[in-house]
Amino acid sequence: MTKYFSKGIGFILKFVFLGIILLFTIYPVVYAVLGSLKTNMQLVLGDGFLPKTWEFKNYVYAFKKLNFFQYTYNSFVLCIMCTSFALVISSMTGYCMARYDFPLKRILNTLYLALMFVSLGSVTIYPVYMMMNSFGLTNNLLGLALVITGGQATNIFLVRGFVRSIPAELDESAKLDGCSKFGIYWHIMLPLSRPIIAVVGLFAFRGAWNDYITSMVFTIGRKSLQPLTVAVVSLRYSVNAAAEWHIMTAGATIAIIPILIVYVLTNKQFISGLTAGAIKG
Amino acid sequence: MQTSMKPNMRSRIGTVGKGFKENKQIYLMILPNVIMFALFSIYPIGWVLKYMFYQYDKINDPIFIGLDNFVRIFTRDPYFWKTVTNTFYYVGGKLLITLPVAFVIAVLLNKKFFGSRLMQSIVFMPTIMSASVMALIFYLILNPYSGALNTAMMKMNLISVPINWLSYYNALDTVIIVGVWGAIGNYMVYFLAGLQSVPEDIYESAELDGIGPVRKMFCITIPMMTPVLKTVVMLVLISSFQDIQSIMVLTEGGPNGASDVMFLYVYRMFFPISATTASTSQFGYGAALSVVCASLIGAVTILYLRATRKVDDMF
Repeated sequence: MTKYFSKGIGFILKFVFLGIILLFTIYPVVYAVLGSLKTNMQLVLGDGFLPKTWEFKNYVYAFKKLNFFQYTYNSFVLCIMCTSFALVISSMTGYCMARYDFPLKRILNTLYLALMFVSLGSVTIYPVYMMMNSFGLTNNLLGLALVITGGQATNIFLVRGFVRSIPAELDESAKLDGCSKFGIYWHIMLPLSRPIIAVVGLFAFRGAWNDYITSMVFTIGRKSLQPLTVAVVSLRYSVNAAAEWHIMTAGATIAIIPILIVYVLTNKQFISGLTAGAIKG
Repeated sequence: MQTSMKPNMRSRIGTVGKGFKENKQIYLMILPNVIMFALFSIYPIGWVLKYMFYQYDKINDPIFIGLDNFVRIFTRDPYFWKTVTNTFYYVGGKLLITLPVAFVIAVLLNKKFFGSRLMQSIVFMPTIMSASVMALIFYLILNPYSGALNTAMMKMNLISVPINWLSYYNALDTVIIVGVWGAIGNYMVYFLAGLQSVPEDIYESAELDGIGPVRKMFCITIPMMTPVLKTVVMLVLISSFQDIQSIMVLTEGGPNGASDVMFLYVYRMFFPISATTASTSQFGYGAALSVVCASLIGAVTILYLRATRKVDDMF
């Protein structure tokens, strides 16, 4: 009897705990989405959970008056560039590091590993900014995308680990058939390492979409280049911020919906990619 | 990482030491990465290591001042050491909350039940969202007068007067909770992977011996998880030392430095946009500060690795 009783208690505790976690996790997101459909009055007074009137005009205001089309466009362009850079660079380098011995390899390997443990924080943005400025790359999104892509050390290790698990006999037979090194990469490795490349792409997309500090520094004084994160957060510092909660939540919703859609479609890869990275790294 | 150091025999496909011509394609393929790595990873480190010996701001030319910046850090900058204390409090607090909560969630969700996969996906969700944008949302929720948290708590009669969550006494704790919000999902996933790596037959034989669930947890699961636990703690440590996005948006380190962390202080030496500090950039001093911060983190990492080796010996 007591056994069943304590089991019941355990069961209830478990679901209470999970319920609290669920509420804690999901509430800020729900707050943002529902808040974006309320009037500022209702939002500030905390009057009711659901919107009383569904104010889709908050979005119209954000897009039309506050130029959110431009910011959304910037975010997408930035993401597409960063994702493609990350895919191309980390897959090529990872493949070379896994398959070939070349004079520079030892040095590169050591440097990549060592620098993963050096954390200078956001300081590095300043010299990089000045450097990009002297290259004339601070007036467009390309420079920012290059900086966000960066050295790719983690992704290279991910790809390298995966390529090593592909049998080398495949390369050898392709080589006998007269395939060049790049040909082996293009025709054999790239198709076979699709799972890990998907993970690299997803992480690059997430990193670029959510980047804040680098983007902010690179777009100081150039509002037309700002991605969504920077634009949304800057609403907090606007003159009448107190009267614009509904716009802030609308902006935040615009910034989180696309990545949320990507996540809903790909959450398996996200989660498996994270564990692959943790075990290898 | 161990395996990366061993020469991989299978990878030697007849290209060893045949000069540049043979390796031309390889060099062309790694070239973009080498350039970017040099520009964005090596160059800034070199820059920092050079200018940490300089007095350097936006207006004047850099002047070499030797170790003066470091003398200033260790003798004349109590505010920096306050941010260091805050950082350690933040990292420690985040670790102490995130680890047990994420572990319990992982254990509960490791058993399949209706909705367990969905629950996993939801708990993981914060990690894909922008920390800065969500910090803005938290800023609204935590607002003392109009924020949803105080309104809800007053309606439920839990408090009678609104609490200022971002006041001098609460700001750092609040910032920790926001950090925990963004971190639980990550560590839950690591723990789940760790739990799934524990072989099922150990549990079966334990069950045959009549061992209860509590002892199973403490005598099998947790010891078997120590390798994963070690890695996870390491990851939390390194990443939380560098968490500045949400703090920047939520409190800007304020009020009066109550929630300022070391990397945010360093950041303001370079980009003094915030109202809380002096409004001139001090690049040289910032570079020196960042080297001190990096060394502190390095020291913590080494100490941690040593300590965990001792723990390994105990088992």
